[in-house]
Amino acid sequence: MSSSKKHQAPRLAKWLAHKLIKETYIEELFGDLQEMFEDRISTKGKSYALLMYWLDTFHLLIGFSSIGIFKTQNNNTIMIKNMFKIAWRNAIRQRQFTVLNLLGLSIGMATCLLIGLYVYDEISYDQFHAKGDRIYRINQPDIWGNWDKESASTGPNVALALKEDIPDFEELTRIRSLRGLVMKYEEEGRRTISFEEDLNFAVDENFFDVFSFNFIQGSPETALIEPKSMVMTVETAERYFGYEDPIGKSIDVKHYDGTWHPYMVSGVLDNVPDRSHIQFDMLVPMNSHRKQMESDDWKWIWTAFSTYGLVQEGTDIEALTKKIQAVPPKWAPPTTERIFNQTFDEFTAGNPWTLFLQPLEGIYFSERPPFHRFGPTGNPQVVGIFGVIGILILLLSVINFMNLSTARSANRSKEVGIRKVLGSGKKSLVIQFIFESVLYVVISTIFALGLIELLLPWFNTFTNKNLVLLTFLMQPAIILFVLSFIVLVGVLAGSYPALYLSSAKPIETLKGKLSSGFKSKGIRNGLVVLQFTISISLIICAYFVQKQISYSSKLDVGYVKDNILQIHNIEQIGFDSEVLKTKLESNPAFTHVGKSFGVPPNIWSGDRYKTDDPESEVVYISNVRTDEDYINLLGLEFIAGRNFDLHRSNDKYGIILNEEAVKMLGWKSKDKSPIGKKLLIASGDEDDFEVIGVVKDFNFRSVKRKIEPLMIIHHLNDRVWDYGSGISFLSMRLNPEGVSNSEDLQRVIEEVKSAISDIDSSIPFEYSFMDQDFESTFRTEQRMGVVMNFFTAMAMVIACLGLFGLAAFSAEQRIKELGIRKVLGAKAYQLVFLFTSEFTKLIAVSVLIASPLAYYFTDLWLEDFAYKAPIEIWVFVVAAIGALSLAIVTIAYQSLRAAHRNPVDTLKDE
Amino acid sequence: MKNKGLGEFEELVLLAVCILGDGAYGVSVKSEVERHSGRSVLLGAVHITLYRLQDKGFLKSEMGGNSAKRGDRRKRLFKITETGMQQLQTSQDVRQKMWQLIPQLNAGS
Repeated sequence: MSSSKKHQAPRLAKWLAHKLIKETYIEELFGDLQEMFEDRISTKGKSYALLMYWLDTFHLLIGFSSIGIFKTQNNNTIMIKNMFKIAWRNAIRQRQFTVLNLLGLSIGMATCLLIGLYVYDEISYDQFHAKGDRIYRINQPDIWGNWDKESASTGPNVALALKEDIPDFEELTRIRSLRGLVMKYEEEGRRTISFEEDLNFAVDENFFDVFSFNFIQGSPETALIEPKSMVMTVETAERYFGYEDPIGKSIDVKHYDGTWHPYMVSGVLDNVPDRSHIQFDMLVPMNSHRKQMESDDWKWIWTAFSTYGLVQEGTDIEALTKKIQAVPPKWAPPTTERIFNQTFDEFTAGNPWTLFLQPLEGIYFSERPPFHRFGPTGNPQVVGIFGVIGILILLLSVINFMNLSTARSANRSKEVGIRKVLGSGKKSLVIQFIFESVLYVVISTIFALGLIELLLPWFNTFTNKNLVLLTFLMQPAIILFVLSFIVLVGVLAGSYPALYLSSAKPIETLKGKLSSGFKSKGIRNGLVVLQFTISISLIICAYFVQKQISYSSKLDVGYVKDNILQIHNIEQIGFDSEVLKTKLESNPAFTHVGKSFGVPPNIWSGDRYKTDDPESEVVYISNVRTDEDYINLLGLEFIAGRNFDLHRSNDKYGIILNEEAVKMLGWKSKDKSPIGKKLLIASGDEDDFEVIGVVKDFNFRSVKRKIEPLMIIHHLNDRVWDYGSGISFLSMRLNPEGVSNSEDLQRVIEEVKSAISDIDSSIPFEYSFMDQDFESTFRTEQRMGVVMNFFTAMAMVIACLGLFGLAAFSAEQRIKELGIRKVLGAKAYQLVFLFTSEFTKLIAVSVLIASPLAYYFTDLWLEDFAYKAPIEIWVFVVAAIGALSLAIVTIAYQSLRAAHRNPVDTLKDE
Repeated sequence: MKNKGLGEFEELVLLAVCILGDGAYGVSVKSEVERHSGRSVLLGAVHITLYRLQDKGFLKSEMGGNSAKRGDRRKRLFKITETGMQQLQTSQDVRQKMWQLIPQLNAGS
């Protein structure tokens, strides 16, 4: 029956009511609410229905609340009622202040809680594993280049050796990613369903003894025992089988060597929780590739695995870490000797082959190592920046609140005087003031929660998250935080007026002698300066973040990256790709067609090389295999030598280097030309590569990084170990004359698609554009930029609200002074100037403090980028002028009103 | 605190319950009152009044009748009691008497 429930009423409202309304009423009341909600949705639309739902809920809350303060009548409740009444009258009397006060605090709290929500989500990954506190990942140095860098990848035998030598591990399990395998499910007599699977991992059969993923069908004990069995998530199962029972069905998997193998589904899991650093669609047992796993030669240097250990309860991790250091020197030497013809010490060049134990909960959010291949990694920098901004904004709004509360309490000195004359004790006055300010904070908090509820969908799209307010609010820590915030801010903001006013002598206050006190004015001014310092700094920083992002995306990468269409999955075609290439070359829409194994900005393969000089150092050089046309397509500029020329028989064994590689190999300094020099693989392979050309440096990875050494190998070079394997691409440079609009483009893409399916229709058709790939390397920064702009705007709004309030207050306080000045002959514009200059001075001070601060932080942030947008002075000037004029506009209304008042009105009392 | 009289809104609600017979519960009473009086009424007000009338002994209630539209929740069905009927009658009589005491007015003058 519940499936016929069409609309979801706001959960927050429901929850609130559940907390406050007696259980006996719940059923009928919610029934009624739901019924009306449905009616209203169908007659007046969703937003009206939502609004009315909230209204009705609140109304019911007041009537049925089990708190009961609205019903019983005894001395206490009468007092509380009286306090409410006084608070309400004051709120109404100074309507403007009330609104400003509530608005500022609500915005601040909402922003801060929103950020809190995000930060909490980020730092609470991987907490669903039952044995999570005992799971550690075993990391080791990056043995392929930088031994100082920690890497999450190890060879497969690390786990086996640890199992053999170290009894402290209860389980050791390994994961290996099998990216990009094509799989298909042939329904009998019906269509074939085929996907390229990226989130497909090979795991050891004890995977589920370590990690807790929830089984829907099948059992964790047996699901991974059989070779070529397969465990998948519900979502994946639905993709292949719809609503049929997946257990026992078989999926054909095309292995990397091109052969098809049937895998049988043995288990179905719940979808992997969002907050897991391991994200998979399907798992297959590692013994499905027995032959590969059993060859022992390179098991210490095949760093495609991650190793996880479950330690015994009560293990001393420090002692264990010490103990496992003995493992690599004992087990790795046979591998280094066989593969590299080097002893263990020669291979490590004296660097320790350390094994690190990293606790599971720290993996997602750690910068050490910054990358792993099984799922998302956190960005501590972004979280840190957001966290700081959140706290700053909260600080801003709290300052505002206190400032305004204090300021406006000065107007109540007469009230206090009268109360005292009528016999009110000091204690009850203090309670009244603190009660009022706590009440304000409570109301703001409720507003803030509503505001978050409204903003959350938007915030989720930008941060790419799935945040839910309710689960966040249920955390005891958060409840504690919100409650203590309410009490703390309420009491702090209320305490100054409470203590100061309640101890004043009634005769003086009634005579009107009590001024707001010059002491507090200094503090208030200081707080305004602090607010504007923060918001001006934020504005400047936000500008430079934007600037850096657009600067990077427009940066010259060394070739024209626009108009390059890239077709993926070309490796599936095998050597028929030449046929396809010839066909595409004849298409007038393209000026160039080229083949490559890897495309910028994602060229990740590489190896260790040295020159034929026996003294030479080993250098890690990235490599990419392409044909001669791809180099022409990119339009790389040769500064020495030439492109591959297949008419020369040996050219396919030649290589082309970039400038950086030449520099790193140390050739440039000794003699002019590196052409004709020889390069060797450092692992002792006798084959050498002759340098036939050098190209100018170009970005083959994200422009966040400096250009690293690169060598281009011809794709027909059959002496390299990975000849013919790996993923490859066909790239086409579009002819801007032939393809001028999106319809043309669509047509061209269709043509390519049909050309491919003519060859083999089972190949998944995927394409991308190079400029977009480059841009996507900045997606995190872009998202962060948008969110940061929003926060900056919030900070500015809060600061202006505060300034507006203070200006209004000041106008009221100085009304007589201004009146007297006017009587004595001051012109209105002089008064405006006098009034405005008091505040603009404060802003000027803020600008002076904010500029160096903003410069410092911008500089710090830019350090991570290889190519930095320049920090320009004019930005500071514009920010300063902007802040000043905003401040002047904010107080303009108050100052004009104050200056144009008729002195007769303002001076008539007394 | 126990005031046995009928407020104006209470009277409207009580009448609505009478009109609705077996189908009187929160939402239906609310819409009945709205239909006849032409003003819009909040659900909470109706519920509070229904309960107050029950406390005064003018109404009795029982749970029953769920529907999918209500998210499978039951409703509380209200019925008028003997005393409730009497009370309505009394207030009707009071008004009637008072109306009769108003001096005849000339509509034209």
